Amino acid sequence: MAEEKVMTPQVEEEAVEIGKNWKANPHKWTGDPNQPLLEVKNLRVSYHTYAGEVQSVRGVNFDVKHGEILAVIGESGCGKSVTARTIMSLIRHPGVVKEGSQILFEGKDVLSMSKKELSQYRGGDCGMIFQDALVALDPTMRVGKQIMENLRIHSKMTKKEAKEEAIRLLDVVGIPNAETRFRQYPFEFSGGMRQRAMIAMAVACQPKLVIADEPTTALDVTIQAQIMELLKRLRDEDGTSIILITHDFGVVAGFADKIVVMYAGQIVERGSRKEIFYNPQHPYTWALLGAVPRLDWENKQMLRTIRGTPPDLVAPPKGCPFARRCELCMNVCLEEMPPVKEFPGEGPENHGHSAMCWLYADDAPAEVREKAEALRVKGGEGHE
Amino acid sequence: MAKFVAKRFVYMIITLFLVFTATFFLLASIPGNALTMKIHKLPAQAQERIMQKYGYDKPAGERYLLTLKNVVTKGDFGESIAKSGDTLGSILQKRLPPTVRLNIQQMIVGVTLGLILGIIAAMKRAKAPDFIILIFCMFMTSVPSLVIALILQLTLTGPSGLLHLPIIGWPKGKDLWFGGWQFTILPTFAGALFYVAGYARTTKIAMLDSIYQECTTTARAIGMSETQVMLHHVVRNSFIPIVTFLPGTIAGMLSGSLFIERVFSVPGIGSYYVECITQRDVPMVLGFTVFYSAITIVSIFVSDVLYGIVDPRIKLVSGSSR
Ligand SMILES: Nc1ncnc2c1ncn2[C@@H]1O[C@H](COP(=O)(O)OP(=O)(O)OP(=O)(O)O)[C@@H](O)[C@H]1O
Ligand code: SF4
Ligand SMILES: [Mg+2]
Repeated sequence: MAEEKVMTPQVEEEAVEIGKNWKANPHKWTGDPNQPLLEVKNLRVSYHTYAGEVQSVRGVNFDVKHGEILAVIGESGCGKSVTARTIMSLIRHPGVVKEGSQILFEGKDVLSMSKKELSQYRGGDCGMIFQDALVALDPTMRVGKQIMENLRIHSKMTKKEAKEEAIRLLDVVGIPNAETRFRQYPFEFSGGMRQRAMIAMAVACQPKLVIADEPTTALDVTIQAQIMELLKRLRDEDGTSIILITHDFGVVAGFADKIVVMYAGQIVERGSRKEIFYNPQHPYTWALLGAVPRLDWENKQMLRTIRGTPPDLVAPPKGCPFARRCELCMNVCLEEMPPVKEFPGEGPENHGHSAMCWLYADDAPAEVREKAEALRVKGGEGHE
Repeated sequence: MAKFVAKRFVYMIITLFLVFTATFFLLASIPGNALTMKIHKLPAQAQERIMQKYGYDKPAGERYLLTLKNVVTKGDFGESIAKSGDTLGSILQKRLPPTVRLNIQQMIVGVTLGLILGIIAAMKRAKAPDFIILIFCMFMTSVPSLVIALILQLTLTGPSGLLHLPIIGWPKGKDLWFGGWQFTILPTFAGALFYVAGYARTTKIAMLDSIYQECTTTARAIGMSETQVMLHHVVRNSFIPIVTFLPGTIAGMLSGSLFIERVFSVPGIGSYYVECITQRDVPMVLGFTVFYSAITIVSIFVSDVLYGIVDPRIKLVSGSSR
């Protein structure tokens, strides 16, 4: 059903056929399929600024399995991009990855890789699609050449082979006249085309994991849907795992297998797509879902906005980070970090649903629980 | 574009006219000139006759109009008073080649060294090489090239010097454009050091700008090493500010090489110009001043055109450099 909806009518310039094969050669699995492809353990990242130490990521854990699509969702500034960059080991001064953080790719710690291993890992095992392709592509270099660079680093292709492969890739991501486009500069591309070129570049060497950092934020809705379709095909055909970062629930509907909800550098709720959409448990998730317009709202229901702003990450609150904006805030919320509560989902694919909130502590006052039931967002039909 | 060029051309003519006028009256307001120096021992009557012959008996306003007419109609600034027979045209013909060669050599050496130092400083930013280069650049910009020329001359030339280079002089005859390098080394370096400082700084700043551009992160994300990122993306993105910086420095260097030519007795227009000024050779000073102004204005104009073309940035690069 979701697939039907995203195949929207196409804009003239972007009128392209999607659905050619990604593969130049079949994807080879290495390693144990039961072992997660990527494990992020206790990730903490800080930026040292004049204002003090900005604790951008404060203890994040998640894993991604082979062929899985994980969506990371949260407001601006909650640490999504920093998390993505750390997975690629791209944090630079003044950013610091804290002691004890681990990023395991096929069991190997990315953060302690040698330069040579990193060079293979980046672009070879793991590709990244950046938020804004206009600044992410080198403005002074032909698009084709930038894709070729990736191929030349990770394979023994000759210049000619790399060129042919780059043209094929441009064609696969749905750029018409790939041969001509190959020779053009990024500014000669439209926004959607640039994002496609960016994708071609990220997946050029058939990485096992692709991190897409808000790949469609700058694009209009039609093209947004096409790009998402393109990424989905990458998973369906090549079995590539994808981490999709977004601030928009509308984008992940019908796309993600698992969703983690981030707030102020922490994960406040996680679960399968179905659990998060149909059975959300955290007040922040309710607020986020309530802020998305939905098809099933017949009456002129008010679109809920979330009052207030996220906490200052230089001096994060010692209790629940959402407390200042939460309508259900209790005394304990201000004082202590909430415990993580597990929710058993139906069926094995819905396992692992959990939320970090005092609401589910055994001694939570009854009237707060009642109020919570009233606030709870029910049903995600409108989103899917 | 044509309109832009035409407009700038008109401005250029106006500027040159103003330079001409100002120089003329400034020179006229100084009592005495090469002529009075030459004839002050002659009897008064003879002096008067000679003044008449050169037209100096007439009031300044009248002389101005006459000179202006000659310049506009014939491009003629008049004959040298100090050295009869010399005109602006004849001197340019004779003395331009050494100056042009000197300046080209200075530019090649200076820009190359400057780029290299700038790239090193940016790559090793906030480390020892960066500081050493910074101190070197500060030294080079604050010490006039004249002093540097003298220091080089003292330490490196002659029988007791470190390199046994000739103290002064310039290749002649068949070596005029190519060859006789031992003569050209010191004047070239003395002038080039000025460039080195400017270019090292411009390059470093441009590089640091591009280092923090998002596209360098992309390059890292596809597995490029730091050095590859520098050479493939950062240097390339720093290119535009550096190219547009070039014409402006040409103007600056012309004036810098005046004294270098003099110190090393290079028979170029610079040393001649300095000589004219000390002798107060009015027509020649006037002619050369306008000539130098024209070159300066043209350089600035070229630089503006470059900026204008570069404006949508990438077009120029695609058309001209690759
Ligand atoms: N280079 C940096 N220097 C200082 N602080 C930084 C830097 N990069 C990120 N931060 C801080 O880290 C926090 C998280 O930033 P991040 O870019 O991960 O947010 P985000 O979730 O990706 O938001 P958005 O949706 O706007 O992209 C922010 O508070 C930001 O101020
Ligand atoms: S812990 Fe308390 S403040 Fe935080 S979300 Fe839950 S109820 Fe709200
Ligand atoms: Mg971001």
